[in-house]
Amino acid sequence: MTAVHIVFYIFALIATVSATAVVTVRNPVRSVLSLVVTFFSMAGIWMLLRAEFLSLILLLVYVGAVMTLFLFIVMMLDISGETSKGGFVRYLPFGLIIVLVMTGVLMAAGPAYFSGMQLPLPADKPADYNNLKALGSILYTQYAVAFEMAGVILLAAIVAAIVLAHRGPKHRKVQVISKQLDAQPEKRVRLVKMKPEPKSPKTDGGK
Amino acid sequence: MDNFLLWTALAMALLPLMGTLIAGLSGRLLSRTLTHRIVVSLVGISFFLACYLFKVFVLDNHAPLDASFYTWATAGVLRFDIAFLIDRLSATMSMIVLFVSFMVHIYTIGYMADDPGYRRFFSYVSLFTFAMLMLVLADNFLLMFFGWEGVGLVSYLLIGFWFKREAANLGSLKAFLANRIGDIGFILAMAAALAYFGTLKYHDVFMQVPGLADKTMHLLPSYNVSVITLISLLLFIGAMGKSAQVPLHVWLPESMEGPTPISALIHAATMVTAGIYMVARMSPMFEFSPTTLSFILVIGGTSAFFMGLLAVVQYDIKRVIAYSTLSQLGYMAVALGASAYDAAIFHLITHAFFKALLFLAAGSVIIAMHHEQDMRKMGGLASYLPVTYLTFVIGSLALCAIPPFAGFYSKDMIIDAVYLSTTPGAAYAYYCVLGGAFVTSLYTFRALFMTFHTNERWDPAVRDHIKESPWVVLFPLVALAIPSVFAGQVLIGPILFAHPSMLGNTTFVLPDHNVLFKLASHFHGAKRMALEAGKTLTFWIAMSGIVTAWLFTAKYPKWSEWFKQRFSVLYAILVRKYGFDDFNQIVLTEGTRDAGHLCYEVSDVKVIDGVFVNGSGRLTRWFAQTARRLQTGYLYHYALAMVLGIVALLVWYAGGF
Amino acid sequence: MPSLNEFLMLASLLFGLGVAGVILNRKNIIVLLMSLELILLAVNTNFVVFSYFLDNYAGQIFVFFVLTVAAAEAAIGLAILVVLYRQRHTIEVQDLDALKG
Repeated sequence: MTAVHIVFYIFALIATVSATAVVTVRNPVRSVLSLVVTFFSMAGIWMLLRAEFLSLILLLVYVGAVMTLFLFIVMMLDISGETSKGGFVRYLPFGLIIVLVMTGVLMAAGPAYFSGMQLPLPADKPADYNNLKALGSILYTQYAVAFEMAGVILLAAIVAAIVLAHRGPKHRKVQVISKQLDAQPEKRVRLVKMKPEPKSPKTDGGK
Repeated sequence: MDNFLLWTALAMALLPLMGTLIAGLSGRLLSRTLTHRIVVSLVGISFFLACYLFKVFVLDNHAPLDASFYTWATAGVLRFDIAFLIDRLSATMSMIVLFVSFMVHIYTIGYMADDPGYRRFFSYVSLFTFAMLMLVLADNFLLMFFGWEGVGLVSYLLIGFWFKREAANLGSLKAFLANRIGDIGFILAMAAALAYFGTLKYHDVFMQVPGLADKTMHLLPSYNVSVITLISLLLFIGAMGKSAQVPLHVWLPESMEGPTPISALIHAATMVTAGIYMVARMSPMFEFSPTTLSFILVIGGTSAFFMGLLAVVQYDIKRVIAYSTLSQLGYMAVALGASAYDAAIFHLITHAFFKALLFLAAGSVIIAMHHEQDMRKMGGLASYLPVTYLTFVIGSLALCAIPPFAGFYSKDMIIDAVYLSTTPGAAYAYYCVLGGAFVTSLYTFRALFMTFHTNERWDPAVRDHIKESPWVVLFPLVALAIPSVFAGQVLIGPILFAHPSMLGNTTFVLPDHNVLFKLASHFHGAKRMALEAGKTLTFWIAMSGIVTAWLFTAKYPKWSEWFKQRFSVLYAILVRKYGFDDFNQIVLTEGTRDAGHLCYEVSDVKVIDGVFVNGSGRLTRWFAQTARRLQTGYLYHYALAMVLGIVALLVWYAGGF
Repeated sequence: MPSLNEFLMLASLLFGLGVAGVILNRKNIIVLLMSLELILLAVNTNFVVFSYFLDNYAGQIFVFFVLTVAAAEAAIGLAILVVLYRQRHTIEVQDLDALKG
């Protein structure tokens, strides 16, 4: 049981617990924060797997951008958090069974398939191994088109998000200075001639 | 010469058709007199041509002619030719048909004189003559079937001639439907003949029959039947319908709703004999099927005796003669079954004469009695209608087989032939025809005594109306009475015992069935046969029938009342005609209607409408309602569905390992 | 270094939890979107693990792109959520049944 094993198990445990928390806690803010913790632990595991670039990107992009966005939304929307949880408990057994079946199949079939392959641990990399450089040399040459298309997708996402969420200009009153300066007195006041109305004879002097 | 004869035959057949068209289509353009003159002359010319052909083919022994005028259609194996086969049998038959038809045409001038449908009647009667001639002259099954159906159709038209009468309409329908049931047999026989012989021409079929004598076919899974037996049986079923054998006889009494001339022509002399003619024509085939011959014997015997019994209890004069016809047709069938085809045709010829005579004489009585047909309201007419009375007596004597009248020779020959026949069922038929001889005399003379003798039971006020009919009515009576007297003596030698016989080799008999050949050794001439009649059993049976009739009707009428009461059950059975009509009414008519009702209620309304039509709609709606519940609108349900799909795929995929 | 199986089991566990979150959650669309992120995380982990063991960078490249698309999708998803909230004033999944048949 090497140190790597122990580190792996710790990270795995944290990830599992916080993933459960994402699904089960009631407070949505706590839910989001649990997901952040999950991402952190998974980033750690990826680091173990020598995918340094990706683990850091995970943290930067996912946690830094996407989770922040989630938090913004959670706080923006007025969610009356304590809604009925009755539905959850009633369907819990059924859903749980489904999930257990699926996970069980995955976990059972996986080893059965892959144990036959006897994948050996790969050789250690040389000391000047640079994951970033290795990825970059493939990404910009072989997968260049895909890279560009990813950019286009992001552009589409930007446009879509803005168009969806954008409300039109709020209708509010503002001062239009040019109009104020254009005001003419003749247009503001109008004199009208009127006949006086006769006094009624019954009015008192005022005693 | 051959060509000339063929064209003569064609003209003989087509002249009546021309008469039909002229009388039928010209309407008021031609006066009644002119119409009947044209039509009767055309039939007369046809009759003359028939006599000429008879002379050429029978007396001068010309070889048979078989030629086609026109091919109507071909369809694979099936060929429909308008082709005539003129030989001794068809020449003889056409002469008889045209003679009786000619007499009836002349008779009609007097009988239907004051009927509004005068021209229509002539048109129909000529049409009948045409159809019957086509039947007789045909050389293939299909053309004969054309004539067969034609005579059935015209019978329908003529029975329902007075179409404003309910009874006439019903009677005509009954006749047509009973005929049709027989026709099913004929059509099936044609189909079988086409299938097994590959042709419908008589000659080609008969050539192949001996070769196929042993061939059988699978009728039911475990039951093989000889092909020849099957075809001949089906053909006889057709004959049963047309010639009114039991159980398809039910239409003949109702057909008396038609005018008397057509009762004489169609239901005595010609149409009903078409079945007999057909079997005689097909004798080369029937001979090879002993089963069918036995069947014919049994059916014929049953008709001969039991139908005769029914005539004893009838009060309508025409019905008595109708049942008599049924009985005599049974005799002809019995002769056919005993393989004495020539004797059957002989009886057919003599019967045509005396039965037509009896019908026309009855018609004369009916005219005189102002269309009264019930014998209980007649009586003592002998002095008022002497000629009618005399011809009626001649007809009756011929019918009862009293020597030396025509019926004696033909009927006795049949009885002797059946006696000698070894086909199974001949014994039963023999006793039937023997009993039939007694019964025949009984009802015939009962009718004669009730009508012409005994007390005058009619209203004295109609006395002035009772006078002899005009000469146009009496002439045919006399013309038919003469052959009724002499035809038997003249024809018996040539037709049965001469070599070559009058019918030559148109009828075919297998050597071990040939009873007529055995009878030839007993035959010593017509005169001797008449003189020796006293030695035969049948003569005394017939005489005892006459004496019984005289006792019960003329001398002691009270005896018949006593008899009716004493044997009331038997009487009731006879009056209800053995229950045939009741059976048809209850089982077939109402049964079919109830079956139809059932089909409608159950299978149409409940099954097809309810289950299939409405049911499929309901099923679709139910399915839609149920499936609709899947569309809950909730995201998590849809996600669940997706996950279930994934699980299924996973399990399936993982199961592969 | 843990064996391949252990990494894969961790990934499948996270995947299961994410799916549970999607189908069991009834009260919050945001939790649903977050569960989606969990699922994507599990898949990404899978890719990285295999990339390590098979010594092939294609896995990591794929993760790169998945990350991109996931971010874009989260953004748009949340924008839609905002618009939905403006209309309905609720984000409970139970109340969103307008597509009910």
